[in-house]
Amino acid sequence: MATEKGKQDAKQPTKSADKAGGGGSGGKGGSSGGSGGGAQGPDYTADNIRLGAAGQALFTKAAGIGAIGLLAAIGLGSAADDGFRRFSLSYVTAFMWVLALGLGALFWVILQNLVNAHWSIVLRRVGEIVAAQAPLLAVLALPIVVPIFMGHSSIYIWSNHEAAQHDHLLHHKAAYLNPTAFFIRFVVYFGLWTLLSRYYLKNSLAQDSSKDPAAIMGKMRATAGPAMIGFALTMTFCAIDLLMSLDPLWFSTIFGVYYLASCVQGINAFLALTAMWLHKRGVLTKSVTTEHFHDLGKMVFAFTIFWAYVAFSQFMLIWYANIPEETGWFKERFEGGWFSGWGLLSATLLLGHFVIPFFGLVSRHIKRRRPTLAFWAVWQLVMIYLDMYWLVMPTIGKHTAGPPFALIDVACAVGVLGVFIAGIAMRAKNLNLMPTNDPRLPKSLAFENI
Amino acid sequence: MAAASDFNSFQAPPKGDNMFAQITDNVTRIMEAPKPPRAWYIAFAIALSMLTMFLGSITWAAWTGIGVWGNMMPVAWAFPIVNFVFWIGIGHAGTLISAVLFLFRQNWRTSINRFAEAMTIFAVMCAGIFPGVHIGRPWLPYYMMPIPNQMGMWPQYRSPLEWDIFAVSTYATVSILFWYMGMIPDFATFRDRSTSTVKRLAYGLVAMGWRGSSRQWHRYERAYLILAALATPLVLSVHSVVSFDFATAQLPGWHATIFPPYFVAGAIFGGFAMVVVLAVPARQFFGLKRIITIRHLELMNKVMIATGLLVGYAYGMEFFISWYSGSMFEGYAFVNRLFGPYSWAYWTMIACNVIFPQLFWFKNVRTNVWATLIIGMIVNVGMWFERFVIICTTLTRDFLPSSWGYYVPTKFDFMTLGGSFGLFFTLFLLFCRYLPMVAMSEVKAFSPPGGHARGHLHHAHDDAAHAHH
Amino acid sequence: MSDDHKPKAESTAPELHGILAEYDTPDQLISASKKVREAGFEKWDTYSPFPVHGIDAAMGIKMTILPWFTLVAGIIGLVSAITMQWWMNAYDYPWLISGKPIWSIPANVPIMFEMTVLFSAITTLVGMLMLNGLPHPSHPLDQVKRFARVTDDKFFLLVQAADAKFDEQDTRALIDGTHPVAVENVLEDRVTPSDIPAGLVYGLIIVTCAALVPVALAVKARHSKSDKPRIHAIQDMDSQPKYKAQRENTTFADGRADREALPGTVAVGHLNEDDHFFRGRAGGGWARTFPAQVELSEETMAQGKVRFGIYCTPCHGQAGLGDGMVHKRAEPMGGGWIQPTNVTQEYVRNQPVGELFNSITNGVRNMPAYGAQIPPAERWAIIMYMRALQRSQAGTLNDVPESERGSLK
Repeated sequence: MATEKGKQDAKQPTKSADKAGGGGSGGKGGSSGGSGGGAQGPDYTADNIRLGAAGQALFTKAAGIGAIGLLAAIGLGSAADDGFRRFSLSYVTAFMWVLALGLGALFWVILQNLVNAHWSIVLRRVGEIVAAQAPLLAVLALPIVVPIFMGHSSIYIWSNHEAAQHDHLLHHKAAYLNPTAFFIRFVVYFGLWTLLSRYYLKNSLAQDSSKDPAAIMGKMRATAGPAMIGFALTMTFCAIDLLMSLDPLWFSTIFGVYYLASCVQGINAFLALTAMWLHKRGVLTKSVTTEHFHDLGKMVFAFTIFWAYVAFSQFMLIWYANIPEETGWFKERFEGGWFSGWGLLSATLLLGHFVIPFFGLVSRHIKRRRPTLAFWAVWQLVMIYLDMYWLVMPTIGKHTAGPPFALIDVACAVGVLGVFIAGIAMRAKNLNLMPTNDPRLPKSLAFENI
Repeated sequence: MAAASDFNSFQAPPKGDNMFAQITDNVTRIMEAPKPPRAWYIAFAIALSMLTMFLGSITWAAWTGIGVWGNMMPVAWAFPIVNFVFWIGIGHAGTLISAVLFLFRQNWRTSINRFAEAMTIFAVMCAGIFPGVHIGRPWLPYYMMPIPNQMGMWPQYRSPLEWDIFAVSTYATVSILFWYMGMIPDFATFRDRSTSTVKRLAYGLVAMGWRGSSRQWHRYERAYLILAALATPLVLSVHSVVSFDFATAQLPGWHATIFPPYFVAGAIFGGFAMVVVLAVPARQFFGLKRIITIRHLELMNKVMIATGLLVGYAYGMEFFISWYSGSMFEGYAFVNRLFGPYSWAYWTMIACNVIFPQLFWFKNVRTNVWATLIIGMIVNVGMWFERFVIICTTLTRDFLPSSWGYYVPTKFDFMTLGGSFGLFFTLFLLFCRYLPMVAMSEVKAFSPPGGHARGHLHHAHDDAAHAHH
Repeated sequence: MSDDHKPKAESTAPELHGILAEYDTPDQLISASKKVREAGFEKWDTYSPFPVHGIDAAMGIKMTILPWFTLVAGIIGLVSAITMQWWMNAYDYPWLISGKPIWSIPANVPIMFEMTVLFSAITTLVGMLMLNGLPHPSHPLDQVKRFARVTDDKFFLLVQAADAKFDEQDTRALIDGTHPVAVENVLEDRVTPSDIPAGLVYGLIIVTCAALVPVALAVKARHSKSDKPRIHAIQDMDSQPKYKAQRENTTFADGRADREALPGTVAVGHLNEDDHFFRGRAGGGWARTFPAQVELSEETMAQGKVRFGIYCTPCHGQAGLGDGMVHKRAEPMGGGWIQPTNVTQEYVRNQPVGELFNSITNGVRNMPAYGAQIPPAERWAIIMYMRALQRSQAGTLNDVPESERGSLK
């Protein structure tokens, strides 16, 4: 397909490490001349692919801010004197927000391997490093899950054995919603995510210095299918356990997909911002080009629409059938009408998470310019946080007329995100930030968008 | 220009000293050939007779009344709606291949997108007939359209069935536009290689005078991209709207929030199955093996595993939540599906949709032409049963036990279902004979330039080596 | 070939339209395009069987305005959808369906989406055709035999003579420098008229007029009356040769299709001779005892309780005190509501069972007749239960069995 940026001529490379073409281009490829062999792109060896000192600096800053945030949150939480209930709700919001990024990264890595994507190779290592924070996320989960294990979580009422016994429905669900079963599931979720993320990072790193990179590529690809199945199930049930069960009487079959939408949009926005941050520090400047940012922007745009689709499906079907078992959950979130209370937050999500970013991101020019893309990436990340807030915070109770935004929410968000970024920085410090030996790298470097 | 007497056989290697000419010849000789392959005549005869049966059974139902079908309370909505959802679902693969795979830059789609789109259009036509005839008074469909009528009433826009009218007609319109636009350059090719004046005038008329100007290609490509970008959310929305027909109700087994993406995944699944079922014989009898290679079949089979697993995920989620919800009606609905009077349909569905497609994990299965064909047919059967299970099983067991019943289809139900395949295949066979089966311009655009050396069109057989991806 | 290089010759020989060069590969086309563009030509074009990657930049083709058409059309579609649904369902003929708001915005979203896409898609295609000048039935290039391979495997470049920089020799030299496979002069196409054929125009007019005829008929029908019945092609048992209630039947003197039962006749099985059982009459007055068919047992009492619960409690309440749900709802509304009878009162206690039976069967004062709903045996069972209720409100400690007295203290 012709573009207005006619770059290099499409020449057959004399030594093509590409074994992916079988007489036609395949997979997500730069359609430069439509050849199966890829084109001569920028020479990445002249590019800076290591963080160097910037990594340590980031680690220190992020860890510091993260620690301050968490300590402030704990302090504010205990000051509230409600058995850490407010703190827990705030923390769950922040945690599920950051978890969406970590899980989104794992999903993204598995997906890129599964479909043999070419365009994303330059960014794959970054994605792998973000995904590899799974163990850190397990630790960050402790403030919410430990009370569940102990059977007296202030926000998950089902964790309390007596409460479960007395309520007819909770009693019915107790085979699933009980601390022991939850513990086992928690171990399975984070265990599987740790195993998968380590597998992909390890193999990816090994590929850098391997004599047979195509074999490793094949291995990662073959695992991707089963890995995706495992991911889908664990992510769904984690979302059910930690978000849906806050209102244990409510249920929605699409809930896992709803959380997935946030994960995917989050990681694409996060990767775009991370790549821009790296560019500011002189890393990957030649490898990650406008074309890649355009693609990341396209995914943020596409998942803006997808999130709206899932959210609308969930809402409209429950609204339409009007069954009291299901509508109560939405009714809480519409208290106060369009302009006040929880309803205002709902209206903000509708406009701010869908309508406005739709028009903002539809133009290719906006997606191809860093400042505008960065703006919308940050915007959507904030909106995902508000979405989590909307899911979680109404649990606080009917006495609260609207979203009780307070410093503790900021503290939790900053705290969890800070620690998460510190973890990424720590891991990324001493690694190549690009898979240097992947057979598809030349195509990724030379990639051009439609 | 090739003369009709130059034509050897569909199996011979295509003529031409370079890749582009070979692609042109491989596809255009189907139109130029004095006669289509014999298999075409046999298939056409069968299809025509099934079409006759279809027209006959519909006319009888319109004349006599809906009572000739098995529809009876509580299953007031039975075969017609199952068939409608089945056919609309099949149509989705074509749009996915055309639009979604285009946006994902999957260039392998160029070999199959044309006839997948054709398949979409014909499937939507078959689908659209069912709502039309099942309303009992098929001479009154204008009630559903926003035109002033003698009662001074307007359609009821809160109804998902009304949304269906808009969704399906938008889908049919956009699909036809997209298909037609894609064919303009190929009609030009046919026009320039026509052997008779009639053909030249006919193809010339629909080619609109296309001459391949780059300035025109620029706008054409932009329009293609825009239509692909519009068709993508459209295809998601159409089957979502169809799923709303059920999910907006309160019936256990119908009312689940996951229905929209579940139905879309199922549609793509069933649609790809139909594409491979058509692709395997078409590439064989029309000599298109060099363009629609084993690699293409393999990739489609992989899409089938993926979408099949999405459907399986949805089955699992429905099942889990039916227990988790604590509602005895929800719980029973699923116990009933597994062990009730229609459990044979449910287990057929599970076997066909969840179990058999797993065979595609094995490379030698998914690169095998016969396995592809058979599993494709199995999936089609399974997807029909999925709609049957959702619709009929749920209706036979709703809230009040006093309303429970059993549904038995009549021979007219079967004649209408089978006959709809007649309409589909008749149109499809006509398409193969007279319209460009492969998007030549797109295949050429993604072939190696000046491809004298590496073109796969030189190989007289396709081997699995080409399937290595 | 004419020696003129200005297109406005008055000779009868066809003028030069331009120079056409043929190439074998897209790369050659691109490099040729770059040269032509750098030479400053503006009226020129390239032709290929497929869109050549990189040709837009090589030729300097600017981005088309087509996406704006799409955007505007989409917005029009969206606004139309919202307006249409609001006007039709909430304004012109407001329709309350299953308690949903008169203007149900969530329910309007699917059609809003579909119409946005529909308008956008149609506009995109039509806009593309218009911007491309299609359909373009004839063109001077059609005279060039080699050009037929443009839709097959060859690539062409044409520089028009109408371009300001065109010079037959110099431009020819420039093009030769791009190493084409072949070069040809293309002459203006004077043979085919550029107007649409008259026959086609007349045909279109006739077809349009014909298409308007059914519309005109429909409009006429909409605004006129007829005393003839509608055309009813598919009969479907719609008009059945039978008499329906409240219709005319001229066979009978009174002209009615509804007939009363002939005097002195009774439906089979409905003689209902037993006055005591069927009407609560005995010995010339209201029966004071239960009829023989009614067994005064625990089962009958239990049945009576169930039936009382179904038919009587809505008005009379669970204990027969006249405080049923209907009363509780109706009393605050005012409007002259009279409380249902407290059946445990003394005067009702004193009524014979036959009179109670009559009240149930035929109704009394505001109470409707329940005879059609409750079979006689069940009516007696209800009365048995009523007596128990009456006893419960007017009993003494002696009425309670000894074994139960302890629980009352």
